[in-house]
Amino acid sequence: MNGPLALWKRTAAQALPRFGPLLALVLMCAALGVFSEHFLSIDNLLNVFRQSAVNALLALGQLAVIVTAGIDLSVGSILGLSCVLAAMALKAGSAPALGIVVALGVGACLGLTNGLLLTKLRLPHPFIPTLGMMNVARGLALVLTGGFPISELPWGFRYWGAGTLWGVPVPVWLVVASCLLFHLFLTRTTPGRDLYAIGGNRQAALLCGVPVDGRLILAYGLSGLMAGAGAVVLAGRMNSGFPLAGVGAELDSIAAVIIGGASFFGGVGTVLGTLVGALIMGVLRNGLNLLNVSAYWQTVVIGAVIVAAVWVDVVRQRAAARR
Amino acid sequence: MLFALVVGWLGWGCRRAGTSKLEIVLVTKALDSEFWQRLKTGAEQAARQDPQVRLSVLAPEREINIDQQVAILEDQIHKKVAALAVAPAGVAEVLPVLDKARAAGIPVVIVDTDVPWPHRVSFVGIDNRLGGRMAAEYVLRAIGNRGKVAVIRGVLGVATQEERLAGFREVVTKAPGVEFVGAQPANSERALGMAVMENLLTRHPDLRAVFATNDQMALGAMEAIAARNLTGKVVLVGFDAGREAVRAVLAGRMDAVVAQFPERIGERAIQEAIKAARGQPNEKFVDIGTGLVTRHNAPELLRKMEASAAGRSD
Repeated sequence: MNGPLALWKRTAAQALPRFGPLLALVLMCAALGVFSEHFLSIDNLLNVFRQSAVNALLALGQLAVIVTAGIDLSVGSILGLSCVLAAMALKAGSAPALGIVVALGVGACLGLTNGLLLTKLRLPHPFIPTLGMMNVARGLALVLTGGFPISELPWGFRYWGAGTLWGVPVPVWLVVASCLLFHLFLTRTTPGRDLYAIGGNRQAALLCGVPVDGRLILAYGLSGLMAGAGAVVLAGRMNSGFPLAGVGAELDSIAAVIIGGASFFGGVGTVLGTLVGALIMGVLRNGLNLLNVSAYWQTVVIGAVIVAAVWVDVVRQRAAARR
Repeated sequence: MLFALVVGWLGWGCRRAGTSKLEIVLVTKALDSEFWQRLKTGAEQAARQDPQVRLSVLAPEREINIDQQVAILEDQIHKKVAALAVAPAGVAEVLPVLDKARAAGIPVVIVDTDVPWPHRVSFVGIDNRLGGRMAAEYVLRAIGNRGKVAVIRGVLGVATQEERLAGFREVVTKAPGVEFVGAQPANSERALGMAVMENLLTRHPDLRAVFATNDQMALGAMEAIAARNLTGKVVLVGFDAGREAVRAVLAGRMDAVVAQFPERIGERAIQEAIKAARGQPNEKFVDIGTGLVTRHNAPELLRKMEASAAGRSD
């Protein structure tokens, strides 16, 4: 491997892992700014943030799972069930705050259940319990509502999805706060760092005295909790707890984490990268919407971006192995 | 880099086209069925009548992706288009974004599925309840007013689906010899329609008739009926009357289908949207009308549909 391509690959391999996704995001915004006069306005950028908020929240939880070399396929369905139960609680006359507690609580409990199924039943791969939960939670959401959306929610609840604070949509504040908390948790606390250790080498982590099972249960619990948070935002935004909320959202959240530079093999991944990953997807969808490109093409483009992002990761690892 | 090129190419196309004055956007629930494709064709034909109008037709990937439709609408509202025509994927879920359109001064025509939103300048669609009643009357005649009947329905809570079901139920429950065994949802998708039909036939081996509230589900149900060699024994009625369904009626694999005329819906929706964009008065309710397609009138309808499809490709 000689010549300019190899050189380019080496240079890219050194620079890209850290700033690759961010760079891609900036380039994309610049390109879209050139082609659509509507793109680079404050209003529209706030739209992008608002539209990306649910995915960003889910992706943060997904990140905690993916760094352990796991995967959580149930977040979209947990979001749906949390939406529905919160809406039912609100319709039964509970206060908005209680509705939020219901959504978060349901999410966290289902997430913890995922973790318990994985560790205590010794199911062979996180794919299995979370795939099961994906179906169970969606099914329950449909059963409980008979399939009907539960709409017209009180403003105190809707505020978290549809309100604004100091000119910025509330969901955006929630994402910012969650990012800070997740960053601190993953980098500054023992349980957080343990998640990376488990993903890097589970056996070694076990030998070093990391309580692997407990940490895994925590990671899946966090993922569920974030699905509950996503439910509050989505139900608030749409003014409705609908049982089909979040269909396919698990794949979007996984995509955001992967585009953001995390590795499926565990041990690697940052909060900033994940946020950027979610924003890349949001910017793509928004920009292509502004350019009147059909949703089908958007899917094609996002698929290509996922593959490209992982390819960059592969190139980087190969270059690192050569050095 | 590649991305920039792709966006550049797409963006260039849009920019060049974007010089006309009146930008109208039609947002449907999806574009994955013949119904929406034909509605889009009608809309495009109406837009071509007026050289000042530039029409874009957008949709989420699937009818259940309500949040994606909301995002599309938000982005179009941000662009301050001249008028919107919307087929709402969720009746309550789109209300907040419709209010945003109103706040931005953009007139909204509601298409196909009505919503309880008093600010719409017009509703263009059909009387779905009447369509459901037509299906029921056909079913009652076909089964001689005796036996079990079921419904396979689309996404719950969507007005078009509720109305079709209500119309059907209203008529069949009045017939004393008929037992209505229930309405099962199949999200307007073909594969789900087939699965639901299989389950219905297992649960009720003596089922006499099924009404599927759109073509896709009817076509799926048709395969499930055929797989059990029950074609002609279980009466099957669909809704929409796309070409595939009309051909199935002609072949005797489906008994009847309630016809919608989606080209006409699309055309009238865009005409109303153009009027609204120009500040001209609107017709509040544009009823496109329905009809029942059976073996007797299917050949004629199919000929017409094929002629208009051939005309389109020129």
